[in-house]
Amino acid sequence: MTGPDVQDPSPRYRVAVDIGGTFTDAVLRRGDGLVRSDKRLTTHGDLLEGFFAAVDGVLAKAGIAPADVDDTIVHATTIVTNAVVTRSGPPTALLVTEGFRDVLHIRDEHRYDMFDPQIEYADPLVPRARTFGISERVHADGNVDRPVEAAEVDILARQLNDANVESVAICLLNAYVNGTNERRLRDLLAERLPDLHVSLSSEVAPQIREYPRAATTVLNAYTQPIVAPYLERLSEVLAERGFSTAPLIMMSNGGVLGAATAGRFPVRMVESGPAAGALAASHLAERMGLDRMLSFDMGGTTAKACLIEERRPTVTGRFEVDRVYRFKAGSGFPILIPAIDMIEIGAGGGSIATVDNLGLLKVGPDSAGSEPGPACYARGGRAPTVTDADLVLGLLDAGHFLGGDMALDLRAAERAVDGLAERLGVARIEAARGVFRVVGESMAAAARAHATDRGLDYRGLPVLAFGGAGPAHACFVAELLDGDTVIYPPLASVLSAFGALITPLRYDLARGMAGPVDWDRAEAAMAAMEEEARAAMTAAGCPQDGMRFGHGADMRYAGQQNEVTVPFDGNPVAARDGAMLREAFETAYEAAYGLRLSDLAIEAVAWRVSAHGPGIAGETEPMTAAAPGGAKGKRPVHVRADGESVPVYDRAALSAGQALAGPAIIEERETTIFVMAGWRAEVRGDGCIVARREG
Amino acid sequence: MDGIALEILWSNLIGAVSEQARALQRIAFSPVVREAGDLACALLDRDGRMIAQAVTGTPGHINTLAAAGAHFVETFPPDGLAEGDVLVTNDPWLSAGHFFDITVLTPVFRKGRVIAFFGSTIHHTDIGGYGVGAGARDVHEEGLWIPRAKLYEAGEPNPLLHDIVRHNVRTPDEVMGDLAAQVSSGRVGAERLGILCDRHGLDDIDTLADEIISRSERAARDSIRRLAAGTYRGESRFDIPGGAEIVLKCALTVDSQAGDILVDFAGSSGASPHGVNVVLNYTHAYSAFAIRSTLDPELPNNHGSLKPIRVTAPEGSIVNAKYPAPVAARHVVGMYVPMPILKALHAVAPDRVVAEGAGAVWTMQIQGKDGRGEPFTSAMFNYSGGMGARRAKPGLGATCYPTGVAAVPVEVLEAAMPIEFTRKELLDGSGGAGRAPGGDGQVIGFRMRTRDPWLLNAVPSRLDAPAEGLEGGGSGRPGRFLVNGEPSARANKMTMAAGDEVLLETPGGGGFGAAN
Repeated sequence: MTGPDVQDPSPRYRVAVDIGGTFTDAVLRRGDGLVRSDKRLTTHGDLLEGFFAAVDGVLAKAGIAPADVDDTIVHATTIVTNAVVTRSGPPTALLVTEGFRDVLHIRDEHRYDMFDPQIEYADPLVPRARTFGISERVHADGNVDRPVEAAEVDILARQLNDANVESVAICLLNAYVNGTNERRLRDLLAERLPDLHVSLSSEVAPQIREYPRAATTVLNAYTQPIVAPYLERLSEVLAERGFSTAPLIMMSNGGVLGAATAGRFPVRMVESGPAAGALAASHLAERMGLDRMLSFDMGGTTAKACLIEERRPTVTGRFEVDRVYRFKAGSGFPILIPAIDMIEIGAGGGSIATVDNLGLLKVGPDSAGSEPGPACYARGGRAPTVTDADLVLGLLDAGHFLGGDMALDLRAAERAVDGLAERLGVARIEAARGVFRVVGESMAAAARAHATDRGLDYRGLPVLAFGGAGPAHACFVAELLDGDTVIYPPLASVLSAFGALITPLRYDLARGMAGPVDWDRAEAAMAAMEEEARAAMTAAGCPQDGMRFGHGADMRYAGQQNEVTVPFDGNPVAARDGAMLREAFETAYEAAYGLRLSDLAIEAVAWRVSAHGPGIAGETEPMTAAAPGGAKGKRPVHVRADGESVPVYDRAALSAGQALAGPAIIEERETTIFVMAGWRAEVRGDGCIVARREG
Repeated sequence: MDGIALEILWSNLIGAVSEQARALQRIAFSPVVREAGDLACALLDRDGRMIAQAVTGTPGHINTLAAAGAHFVETFPPDGLAEGDVLVTNDPWLSAGHFFDITVLTPVFRKGRVIAFFGSTIHHTDIGGYGVGAGARDVHEEGLWIPRAKLYEAGEPNPLLHDIVRHNVRTPDEVMGDLAAQVSSGRVGAERLGILCDRHGLDDIDTLADEIISRSERAARDSIRRLAAGTYRGESRFDIPGGAEIVLKCALTVDSQAGDILVDFAGSSGASPHGVNVVLNYTHAYSAFAIRSTLDPELPNNHGSLKPIRVTAPEGSIVNAKYPAPVAARHVVGMYVPMPILKALHAVAPDRVVAEGAGAVWTMQIQGKDGRGEPFTSAMFNYSGGMGARRAKPGLGATCYPTGVAAVPVEVLEAAMPIEFTRKELLDGSGGAGRAPGGDGQVIGFRMRTRDPWLLNAVPSRLDAPAEGLEGGGSGRPGRFLVNGEPSARANKMTMAAGDEVLLETPGGGGFGAAN
C-alpha cells in the first residue's frame, strides 16, 4: 500500500468494485489521480459476471491490462444481505446450552409496537428442528461448571450429518466471558465432520445478551457457506485473469479485510456498500477541511444518512437487518458487529404519499419500489410517490430522466398527485409541495434523532448529497438542520465504489468482560486483540510500520444496563490508571447524556481495539469542463413561488470556479441537483459542486 | 392549519418526545426500564392534557401518565411554577397504581410562561416496604408514598425530598440515578421543543395542541361511529397467587351518535385482601388501550383519542380500589382488564380482536445474599405467556398482549446476581388449538447459587382458569408454578432454601376459529 504522505514515482493502479442490489459499479484510480468508472447491472445468478464486466470496463477505459493493477483491489458487496433476505443459505444448525433451544424464537419477548396487535417478526434463519441443546455450563463469572463431553458430540455429529447441515452456529450461555466450551465443541465437531462450517459466538460477537449474540452468530453461520466460496473463487479468477494482487473485502465498519478472514466473518460485511459510501463522505470531509458532515444518500425505497464526526463516520456496535414489518425497528434480526452508524428511513423516490385518518399527509414507509414504480414510470403504478411530486414540481424533466433513456409520464404523475390533493383539500401543486416538504422533514427528523441519540449537535452540519433522489432534496433538508452548505460530489452515482477505493485498512475487535475493572485480565484481553488484529492486517497486505492501534471500552456506571462506547486518548489499561479511565468514561457519558454521577462506581463490560492502516495520498483528477457552460434552458419549478422560472444546466458543461445563483437545476445522467433560491453553487477544481446559503 | 403544516409540526413533536424516551432508556439503572422497556414518556400541554407519547412504553404507564397531568396542574397551576421546577409523585390513585412507578413532570418555559410539560413514568428498582408482590395487607406496608411535590425548585434539588427517598429504599443509588435520568430526559425534551418553537416562530403550542387533540378526538369518534350501536358484554376469569378466582365482567356500550364507548365493570369481583387491587386510573388505561389498539392502532394516543372512552367500575371493586387497599402487584389483575373488553368487541370488530391470552406477565423479585455474604435486592424481572391468536395469524409465543415489555436477558440477570437459569424454552402445544392457534407459553427454570436462604416474590397467574379461544378456537393450557416439583404458588413472599429449584410454566394463549 501507498504510505499516507508519499507520492509514488510511477503511477500505480487501484480498483474498487461495489455490487449493489441493482447495479455493479467499478472505479479505477491511477496514483496520479486519473479516475475511470463503469456501471453494469448486477448479475444475481453469478455475481462475478457483473464484477468482471465492470472491471473490464474500467480497464479498457484506462487502456491497461489486469497485470497493470499493482495496488489494491477492494470489493464491497450486498451478497450477505441478499442471502438473508432471500433465505438462500444452506441448512444451518444452532447449538445452544441445553434448556435454551428457543432463543431465536422467544427473542426478548418484546412487542416492538405496543398498539399494533398484528405485528410480525422475521423468520429465524435456523428452524427449531435444527437447534440442538448441549449439556454444558459456564457461569457468569467465567467458571466452567460443566465441560462438553465427547460422547455427546458423537451423537450430535450423526444428527447434523443426517440433517444435511453444512454450517453450525454455536452460542452457549455466558460464552462472552469464557469461550472454552464453545471452542472444545468446535474441535470435537471438526474431528468428526471436517467439512462443516462452524461459527462461535465467542469469536463472532463476544458480548453479553444471549439473543442478539445468537442471532449474530447464526447470520454468520448461515451466510458463510455462500460467502467463503464466493470470495475464494473471486481470488482464483482474479489470479487466472492475470491480476497480481489479492482482493480486500469491505466491512460494515468501513475497514477492509483479506478474503480469507472476511470469509470466516461474513456477518461483518452486511452493510459493506453503504459503509463504503460513508467512507467516501469522510474522505471528502477531510479534503474540504470539514470536521463534521451529514452524508445523505436518498435512493428508490429508502434514505440513508450517516454522521461524519472529526472527519470519520460514527460507528455503532448494534444494528438490525431484514425488517419485515413496515420497516419497523424490532421486526428484524439484531446484529452485534461494529458497523458504520447509519440511519435508514423508508423515504425514497418511490415512497408513497397518503393521507391518514387524522387528515395528515404522510410519506412512506410503503414504497412503489421500481416495480411497478412511481406513477410517472407508467408501469402500472398509480399511487403518488416522491418522484411523482418532484416531476409535478418541475424538479425533474420528463424527457431527461436517466439522460433521456427513460421517458416519464407527466400526466400520470399529475393524476396521482391530484388524488392526494383532493383528499387534502388543496391544489395539485400544493399537494406536491407538501410531499416534498414532508419527506424532507422526516429525513431531517431522523437525522436530528440520530444525532441527539449520540450526544452530537446536528445544527449547521454540511450535507453531502448523493443517490438518485438525494441531490434534489438536500438543500431543503440542510435548511431544516440549520445548515448552510451542501456538497454534491463528482462520481456521485458510483460513490460507494469510490469510497471503497480510497479506504485505509481498519480492523475492530471487542471482548466482553463483566464486573469491576480487573487490570490483569483487561490487559491480557487488549494484548490478545492487538495480536489478532495485527495478524489480520498483515494478511491483508498492511505494512507493519504503517499500523496504528486505538483502544477503548464499553463502560457504564455499576448497576446500569446500557453502555457507552468510550474511545481512549491514551491507554488507561496499560497505564493502570483508574482516574484516567473514569475521566474518559465520564467525558463520553456527559457528552451523551449531560450528567455525571460522580459518587457511583464505574465498570467496563467490553474492551475494544481497533487497528488502522495508512490511507491513500494525492489528488483526484478534476472532472470539469474547460470553459464555463451556459444554461441549456429554463423551466418552471414550484417548490416555493408558483412557477418561478429556473435555469437548467448540464453538470458536465460546468467549469472549475463557475458559480451559479439559486434557484438553479443541474442535471446529471443519474440524478438532478436542485439549488434552492437563497443558495449559491460553485464548482470546485476537483469537480465537487458546493452550494452555500447566502445572507 | 392544513394537513401539511400540521404534519410537519406533529412529526417534530413526536421527534422531541421520542428523544426524551431514548435518552431515558439508555441512562436508566433499572433493568426493567433499560432491558424491558417498562417506561413511558409524554408531552403534555400546559393544561396537563397529553398531546404526544413516545413509541416505547406500556399501556399502564402511558395512559396513567396522561391522567396524572391533570392532577399535577390542579396542585401546581402552571403560572405558579418557576423555571427549573420539576414535579414528582408516586401516588397510586393519581398516577400509575402502585408506589414503584414514579412520575416526573418537567415544565417547559418560553418567554417566562409554561407552554408544556414533558412527563415520564418508570418502574423503579425499589420503593421500600414489601417489594413487588401481593403480600402486603394495606398500601402503607408497600413502601414510600410521595405526594405531589417539587423534586427540583428553580433548578435546585429539593434536599429534604431527596433525603427521604434515599433513606426509604433498599437500592438508593439506582433509585436516585433513575430519578436523575428522568429529570435529565425531561430537559432533553424541553430543549428540543424550544428549538422547534424557534424554527417555526411559535410563542406557545396552544393552537397546535388544540388542533392535534381535536383531530385525534374526531378520528377516534369517527372510528367508533362505524361500529353498530348497542351494549356488548364480555366476561373473563383467571386466578391469582393464592388461588382466588377473579371475574371481570364488562358491559361495553357503543354510542354511535356521540361516537363514544362506555365500559362498565359492574358485576366484577370485589376487592382482594392481597396487593392485586387496581385503581380506576389503571383500569381506564388498560381499557382504553384494548379499544384503541383494536379499532385504530395507528391513531396517535393522546388526550383527544382517549377522551371518547369512558370507564366506570363499582367503588371498592377489584378494578376501582379504594384507600387503603394494597396495590403493589396491581398489574396481575390490570393486564387482564383488556380480556373481557376484547370479547365484547368481538361482536362488532371480529377481524381485529385478539383472543384471550396468558394475561399478565409473571413478575419475580429476589432478595438474598451474594457469594461474599452481602445482601442484595434484585430488580423486578418478568416473563410472558402466549398471546391469543389473531383471526388471520397465530398468537405470538412467549409474548405478552396487552403490555409489550421485554424480558431481561438470562445473561444480564446471571451477571447481576447469583442466579442460575436451567431452562427457558417454549412449551410446545400450550397454545390453544385453532385455525389460527394461540401462542405457546414457556418453561423457565432457575435456582440460586447461594448457601443462604433467600426470598422469592413471585406473582404468577392463570394457574387454573385457561385463556379461552374465540369462534371455536381451543383454550390455552394454564400455567404451573413449581418449587422442587410441587405446585407452590402463594400470595406472600416465600422463604426459599439454598438448593430450591423453581420452575415456571407460563400459560398458553387461546386459539381463533376451530381447528380443521
